Amino acid sequence: MKTRMIITGLLICIFSFFMIAHEHLKFTELHLEDNPLVAFRILVHAGAINDPEGKEGLNALTAMTIANGGTGDLTFRDIQEILYPWAASISVNFDKEVTVFTGNVHRDHLDEFYTIFSGLLLDPRFDESDFRRNKTNLLNYLRNTLRGTNDEELGKWSLQLFMYEDHPYGNVDAGTVQGLEAITLEDVKNHYKNMYTRENVHIGIAGGYNNALIDKMGQDFASLPGGKPEQLVLPQPKPIEDIEVLIVEKPNRATAISLGFPIDVTRTDKDFYPLMVANSFFGEHRTFNGVLMIELRGLRGLNYGTYSYIENFIQDGGSTLMLPNVPRRQQYFSIWIRPVEHATNHFSLRLALYELENLVENGLTQEEFEATRDYMINFSKLWTQTLSRRLGYMMDSAWYGTDYFIDKIEEELMKLTVEDVNRAIKTHLQTGNMKVAAVTANAQEFKEALLNNTPSPISYSANVDESVTAKDAIVKDYQLTINPDRVLIVPVQEMFEE
Amino acid sequence: MEDTVLIKLSIIYLAIVSMCMLPAQSNDAVFPFPVHQSVLDNGLTVISIPFDSPGIIAYYTVVRTGSRNEVEEGLSGFAHFFEHMMFRGTEQYSAEEYNEVLKRLGADHNAFTTDDWTGYHIVASADALEEVVKIESDRFMNLKYSVEDFKTEAGAILGEYNMNAANPLRQMFERIREMAFTEHTYGHTTLGYLEDIKDMPNQFDYSLTFFDRYYRPEYCTIIVAGDVQHDRLTQLAQKYYSGWEPGTWTVDIPEEPPQTEEKRSHMTWGSATLPHLMIGYRVPEFDETNIDLPALNIIGQLLFARNAPLFQKLVVDEQLVDFVSGGYTDRRDPYLFTIMSRIKNIDNMGRVEQEIYDAIEDLKNNQIAPARLDEIKSFLRYSFAMSLNTASSVARTVSQFIQLTGDFNTVNKLFDLYDSVTPEDVQRVARKYFTPATRSVVTLAQEEIQQ
Repeated sequence: MKTRMIITGLLICIFSFFMIAHEHLKFTELHLEDNPLVAFRILVHAGAINDPEGKEGLNALTAMTIANGGTGDLTFRDIQEILYPWAASISVNFDKEVTVFTGNVHRDHLDEFYTIFSGLLLDPRFDESDFRRNKTNLLNYLRNTLRGTNDEELGKWSLQLFMYEDHPYGNVDAGTVQGLEAITLEDVKNHYKNMYTRENVHIGIAGGYNNALIDKMGQDFASLPGGKPEQLVLPQPKPIEDIEVLIVEKPNRATAISLGFPIDVTRTDKDFYPLMVANSFFGEHRTFNGVLMIELRGLRGLNYGTYSYIENFIQDGGSTLMLPNVPRRQQYFSIWIRPVEHATNHFSLRLALYELENLVENGLTQEEFEATRDYMINFSKLWTQTLSRRLGYMMDSAWYGTDYFIDKIEEELMKLTVEDVNRAIKTHLQTGNMKVAAVTANAQEFKEALLNNTPSPISYSANVDESVTAKDAIVKDYQLTINPDRVLIVPVQEMFEE
Repeated sequence: MEDTVLIKLSIIYLAIVSMCMLPAQSNDAVFPFPVHQSVLDNGLTVISIPFDSPGIIAYYTVVRTGSRNEVEEGLSGFAHFFEHMMFRGTEQYSAEEYNEVLKRLGADHNAFTTDDWTGYHIVASADALEEVVKIESDRFMNLKYSVEDFKTEAGAILGEYNMNAANPLRQMFERIREMAFTEHTYGHTTLGYLEDIKDMPNQFDYSLTFFDRYYRPEYCTIIVAGDVQHDRLTQLAQKYYSGWEPGTWTVDIPEEPPQTEEKRSHMTWGSATLPHLMIGYRVPEFDETNIDLPALNIIGQLLFARNAPLFQKLVVDEQLVDFVSGGYTDRRDPYLFTIMSRIKNIDNMGRVEQEIYDAIEDLKNNQIAPARLDEIKSFLRYSFAMSLNTASSVARTVSQFIQLTGDFNTVNKLFDLYDSVTPEDVQRVARKYFTPATRSVVTLAQEEIQQ
């Protein structure tokens, strides 16, 4: 305990971490005097939920046209010329509720970089050619990348659309084909004018900057128009009746499956933390810790991996970590079954749900609880090894109105008991009502098998353990209560159209 | 139990942001961290790189074996398959127990396979070093799995193939390598051919041979970056790895004969996609003394950086493609300078290909301005320095050079070589390697096209 206190004391000396209000501007600072890098994150409280009907994709296209555009006298091309020798980068990520612009630069070029980075946000050129290029890129993402060349992403987005029917979360963040086609440059300028206001941005900076820059940022960003757009009130997602299935039909060699249901829990809720432990035990992303990974891949070799989540999870690049700054007021529980051979798609779905039922019924043992709790406390400390990621988590904490998330994980998990975890599982997770999205070539066959609860026996090239075959004998007949009116087959070319 | 957890947590807590340094002068070493090296009696090299990540270490095991070593017919993809088998346990630690140890430590761990090497990595708290050395040495020395586990894991490999199967670029890489390399093992991808993957469950005996050949100290290097003391690391390596017997296997990789004429192929794609173009030019193997390689990398920047005229023309001005990229990547044997593009309209496929060739011809015919060369050198130095921002990225960078040459000093030698590249070198190298006779071209579209 003594060690811990000493080190906590050291922390205070090393970092100055501020959340300040400056002329109605919200700042988060992480000042590290000796660090030669500087990371910026400018978070705008605007997301796909702000897209007007018929212009789905407006938020994304606005963000793209700003980040991949020009400012003042500098065209997009000029900016690439200037940034290039510094290896500095500017990028944008947009989600349902927020859009975040990130910048990374060595402090050798901080001042010049900041002028361009802030200029893009405060004085965007909105050139017609940048607008056109970014619009085409978004359209190609929907028409070609999602529909044609990435079945895993197609499955995940199909689930989101299906799960949030008639809800502001019910579109791809990039929009729809028809929505994007209807958007004009004038629409983009208006969206910028309405959403990029002083009270609607949150400015984050981390690294070896000097304090004069903070003053300058305060003055510069104060030039944004005042006001804060009214936050859209989110309705409750539509109730789900039994298991509803969306089958996206396309020629492919394996079936990609995502399934889930909305939950009434976010990081602001006490129950998020016991659910975090439960979820890690059940399906921690890309590890062999999770029951799903062990059962589907480890014991049966059905696919590359199967994981579960209690909030929207976007992987940060090639790492195993979650991308920061994709917060949401409403979250969902999901299971991601990576592509399985068509012949085992029914069995794989059954096995995942059988294991979910087992989790809900039996929960974790004391030993499983302790091992998973300790893992999560330690592992979460690895989530913030870079400046930009730490800054992102600090800003997410501000968005949710909680203490610093990484600290909060430790604080909350240390208080938990196994009973807390098992109660939270029973309160929030279930197997009766959910949405399933599957991308497969054998749509009709899969539909009939689901509706008829056709047995799905499985065979292996190896002699597997008796415990595996014994469970398989149960799982092959595991009854899924499919809603017969809600098994939809949609040809892939119709997805994301309107 | 709880005290131990708390202490580990507290130590890790400090390791939040690490630093990267850029040399003040261009002639300073580009890799700014001290590197310590020891070699055990059995030939195992142990390297440590102290780096400012208090409480955290990144532990890499580099095996200088990849799909390049898959010389036997019908066994493509085996190095990658074997990487999976390394997680299947030993007599001392079953697969579950191995995972439990890392779970208790809160470690982030995984592995990957490339053409030339296989990397196993763990990021964990620094005070877990001995436990990490213990479990890693155990599996590298004493791996033991059943035939049943072997066959089950083959299913996961097929799953990995399946998850990539919808990506046209993956299929195009398979095709272009097959065309460009008729003898050398670069002719197949790291994942391997589908028919070989399907046959993997039958290759249990070969897997034992593979382990016996390559998972030996002379093929491996331990690299630890972060909060680590070299004496302590060496002591632990001595304790846990010294019983590892060296092997005798050396592999003869078939040499690829020179390519003497252009090769072309078209692939039709079964679902929605924009047309794709992939071009590969034969280029030499990595050699830290060969100035042609930095020059090739610079040519990659001249053609495809976001401020390059070709990029600007195709992506920004005329908007014919939504991406165009390419470049040289270090390989232990002669490989390809690869160019990729996704074209918005199939009618422009030929035009885009010609634009790329015209830009290459321009480099052959006109020397680049020295100022442009300086900008590229600046970009390469800054991007390299800025990438060294975690213990893991530092360990991985050293691993990359160790696998290429076995010598970590290669990184600084290489950047010295970059400094000496002149506009004349760039022109000479463009003329030498970018010829129609040494190029392979793959196109992909929903439609058939006229070749």
